[in-house]
Order: sequence, then C-alpha cells, then structure tokens
Amino acid sequence: MSPTRFASQHRWIYVGAIVVLVGMLITGILVYQQHHQDVQANNKAQELSGKLAAQGYPVPDQDQIVSTLGNDGGAVCKQPASALKNALWLQNISNGATGPGQRPVIGDGRAIEVEALVLGVYCPDQLAKYQDRFEDIKTAQTVKH
Amino acid sequence: MSAMDMPADGSGAGARTKERAVQAVSAPRLTWLTLALMTTSSVASLRAAPTMAVYGLACVFLYLVPAIVFLLPTALVSAELASGWEGGVYNWVSQGLSKPMGFLAVWCQFAMTIFYYPSLLAYVASTIAYVVDPSLASNGLYTAIVIMVLYWTGVWISSRGTGAVAGLASWGLVIGTLIPGTLLVVLGGVFLGQGNASAAPMNAAHLLPAWTGLASLVLIVNNFLSYSGMEMNAVHVSSLRNPPKEFPKSMFLAMGLVLLIFILPALAISWVVPSNQLSLTAGVMQAFDAFFQYFHIGWLTPVIAVGLVAASLGGMLTWLAGPSKGLLLISREEGYLPPFLQRLNRHGIQQNILVTQGVVTTAIALMYAFIPNVSSAYWIFSVITTQVYLIVYLLMFVAAIRLRRLQPDHPRGYRAPALVTLCVTGLLASAAAMVIGFVPSSQFGGSSVWSYVLLIGGGLLLLGVIIPLCFLKFRKPSWRNAGEDARPATGGAA
Repeated sequence: MSPTRFASQHRWIYVGAIVVLVGMLITGILVYQQHHQDVQANNKAQELSGKLAAQGYPVPDQDQIVSTLGNDGGAVCKQPASALKNALWLQNISNGATGPGQRPVIGDGRAIEVEALVLGVYCPDQLAKYQDRFEDIKTAQTVKH
Repeated sequence: MSAMDMPADGSGAGARTKERAVQAVSAPRLTWLTLALMTTSSVASLRAAPTMAVYGLACVFLYLVPAIVFLLPTALVSAELASGWEGGVYNWVSQGLSKPMGFLAVWCQFAMTIFYYPSLLAYVASTIAYVVDPSLASNGLYTAIVIMVLYWTGVWISSRGTGAVAGLASWGLVIGTLIPGTLLVVLGGVFLGQGNASAAPMNAAHLLPAWTGLASLVLIVNNFLSYSGMEMNAVHVSSLRNPPKEFPKSMFLAMGLVLLIFILPALAISWVVPSNQLSLTAGVMQAFDAFFQYFHIGWLTPVIAVGLVAASLGGMLTWLAGPSKGLLLISREEGYLPPFLQRLNRHGIQQNILVTQGVVTTAIALMYAFIPNVSSAYWIFSVITTQVYLIVYLLMFVAAIRLRRLQPDHPRGYRAPALVTLCVTGLLASAAAMVIGFVPSSQFGGSSVWSYVLLIGGGLLLLGVIIPLCFLKFRKPSWRNAGEDARPATGGAA
C-alpha cells in the first residue's frame, strides 16, 4: 500500500494530527519569549559566572547565559523540585536510548551541582527543596572534561 | 500466506490452525520503506541527543560499540528470521524452542510497554508544557489529562488498522526526527565551517569516555539497550509484497538511519554548546534552546519541540500496534489468552488487548500523575521493564541458532553471515546488560545494594515469569481459536 493510499483511507486522522501539530506550533512560536539583555539579566549572568569559576567549572559565554536563563532562570526555576519535575529529572539520568530501552545509569554529578548553582542565583527560594531531593543521588565523573 | 510461512512440518493440522489464526488478522500492504521508517521510529528520536552530547566525541564510542555487539546481531538475525518465518518474535521462538517459550517472548515484549507509555507520555506532556507554559510540567492534572488523551487517541488510531499507524509513524519520523536532525547537523556544520573551534574537544584523547570503573561500565553496557526494538516491527512482515527480499532491505535502511539519528545530532550539539553549558539546562528542550540561541534563531525551539512530540507519538503508535499483534497471533493459535482478548474488531485489529492494556496503563499513569511517591520511584519500572525485554533477546538468539540447525533448508530470503557468532555476541551482550541492570543507578542513592537486587529481581520474576506462567497454566483447550468464532461477521483483513 502506498503512502498515498494510506492518506486517502485515513484522511481525517491525518487532518486531525496536522491541525493539532500546527496549532501547537503557532501557539509555541507566539508564546516563545526571547530572553533579552537587560541589567538584571547581565548582573545575574555575572554572578553565576563568578560562582562557576569559584567552584572550578569552566565559565560559559555571558551572552549564552543571558539568552538561556534570562533574568528569572526561565524553565529552570519553574518548580524545579516538584514531584513530576523530579520524576522527569530522574528519568533523564539515563543511557542513550529513546525507546523502551531507556534505563537509568550512574550519571555525572556536574549537572546536579551546576543546577544548584543556577537555582542559588536565579531562584534561591527553590534551592533548599531541590537540594533535599537530590542529596541522596549517587554520581560519578563519567564525562571527560 | 505463502508456503514459506509454514513450519518445516507444515502440512499437518497444526499448520492449518496457524493459518486460520493468522489469516483474519489485519495485514495491509506496506512498502519496505514504510516498514524501515516504522522500525526507525520505534527505536530512535532526537530526545537523547542533548544527554549524549554531554559526552562529546565519546558519544560516537558510546553508540558504535553497542551497535557492533547488539544492533548488528539483533538486526541481522531478525532480518534472517523474518525473511523465513512470518509473525515476528513469537513465531521464531515457537519454531526454534517451543510454543510456551514463544508466548513468553512476545509476552515480555508486550508487558514491558505498559510501563513505557506513562513515562514516554509524561515526557511528551513536559515538552508540550515547555511550548505553552513551563509551569504546567509540575501540574498533576495537566499531566494526567495529556497522558490520557494522547494514549487513548493512540489506541483509537491503532484500532483503525496498521495502515494508519504506518502512515503516522513514518511521517512522525520525517517531520519530528529526520528534518530537525538534518537541521541540527547542517547548523553544526555551518558553525565549524565559519572557523569556530568545536566546543567539545574532537581529538583522539576524547574518543573514549572517562573511565571511572563500574559507573563507566554501567554507562557503556546500558547503552546496548539504545537499539532495543529493532526486531519489533517484524510482526508486520506479512504485509510486505515480498517479505524474504524486502524485510532485510528494510532492516538495513533502519539500521543506518538509527545510527545517523543517534550519533550526528548529538555530535552537532556538542560542537556548538559546551558540555558545562548543557549542564545549565534543566531538560532536553533548554539544551536545544541553547543550541539555537547561538544562531539567534531561538524561535526554532518550539518548532523542534513540536517535532519531538510528533516523533514520540509516532513511535508510541508502532509500539501499540506491534507486540499486541504478536501476542494475539500466538494466543489464537494456542489459546494462551481468554477468548475476550482474542477478538478482533472490523479492521482486523486486536482491539480488546489494546483496551485492556489501556485500562492498566491508565491506572498506572494516574498514579504517576497524582501520587508523588509513584512518580519519584517510576525510574525503577524502566529498569525492571528493560530487564524483562532482555528475556526476549536471550530467547531470540537461542532460537535463531536452533533454527539454523533444526531447519537448515527452510527457505530464507536472507542468510545472516556468521549467524552463530552473531547470536553468541548478541547473547553475551544481552546477558551483560541484564547483569548490569542489577547495579544500583544514581537514583537509588546510597541504599542497600541487596534491596535493589531484590526489588529488580522481584519485578523481573513477577512480570517476566510468574504472570506469563499463570496464563500458560490456566489456559483452557476451548480458548484455542476461540477468537475466530468470536470475531464479528464483518471481520477480516483490512
């Protein structure tokens, strides 16, 4: 059966899928907010850079920090210690599978440590709960730096 | 069904039973290209690219070594088996070992997906939330609604026939993985072409991942499972015009696409975004955002989010349609499931199996969304289910060796080179992955290793042994081909 025949047999399923995806796309592009350079964003990026350097981490480009985290941390600071966010976070400490083969590994500790630094700068009120969640996580240095 | 589909002794009543059981099940015509895209969609997407980009050049090693020891054996062995026997893993294991083992194989392939859907759809819900309102990702009601709506829509689409699944999965792969993946690689190439140095060192010293003993071993061996699912769509082999020739072609294309999808986008991200900056990102989507921000095209982030959603849902459809069909086929032949579960709808689809699976999945998903202790511990299910899935591979490789010995002259469209070596390699890789599955991961923290072993071993025993044994023990002779009688009068192949 050719793809054309599939399309004719299941036209309404295809139309429905396209409408939903296009709707989501338009919403996403309209809602998407570019983080702009402003005084507060630059100050916070500088503060984070200082903390990263003090902890011995390489410091990313200032503009990159500003565009990724803005002045409020963006999605990083949206209830980072909630149960569902925590569940997604834990599932992401995994191998390279994207199907049912996805399984946890012993992750690199850097991601947890750096996120704690980010929270400390951008949303310090969230930090204690986040640290409570992740204090028992076992990590190893599996990434070559 | 062709003569080739019959067992070697396929002239008796058993063969006729098998034929009756299989002939009513939906088998629309698929092209080998469509099947290749379905297989790729089942296994690979861009979801893991940011995670693996953190490893820099070593991500090539982390994907290539498993490809040699697991992907190659799985793909070549299943290509040979599917080119000689219809029905997928249940029939291969039934023919090579025994019918109960065939049931065990397809049960394990089916059962593990029940726990896969809630975590996949929770990820989809969080990706949609990233596009609409990131705070929604923490909302249990929102997550539950998204999981329910998407899952049951998937069940509805699957129950309309394999054709709908094939089309949506193929297009999901194209718009959600192949086009965005190409974009990432082209932008990565542009970045290097502009004379920029790669953010991740691309030299021989970084070809191998850091070696920290057990943690590195866990990472490397667990990556074997990145390729699990390559054999799953073989259940649709009878939908091909010329299965013996077309299935191997389909498998080789899928193998190439899976490798490209896993390796190149991860490398491209590692060229542009430093690994420590990837650590600044609390999720897959922000890593993509950081990538696009470099090129000042951040608005592409929601575009790629929609693509990821499409690809994930397309992949989910293939998993809904595949293992449940294999379970139905062997159950109709041997009466392993009650008649209610053997019934087909008017499109020739195992609707009652899908709906029953849906009820269980719904209960699990609601617990995931509303009970924090369940969601926080949900990663454990992914360990148990991957352990259960490895049983399928152990059985498949043993069955392949036995089929070469027991039925050497059975017509096969493709004969895998050095099959025994491939099977032994695949067996050892699967066994190693199963053993490594008992090593506590990061999430388990510093708790007792033995309690972890008991937890995983208990889950493996319950889901992968006790439940299928119960089906085998309590089946009734009257269940054999009962679904045939229970089929609606209008039933039949789509």
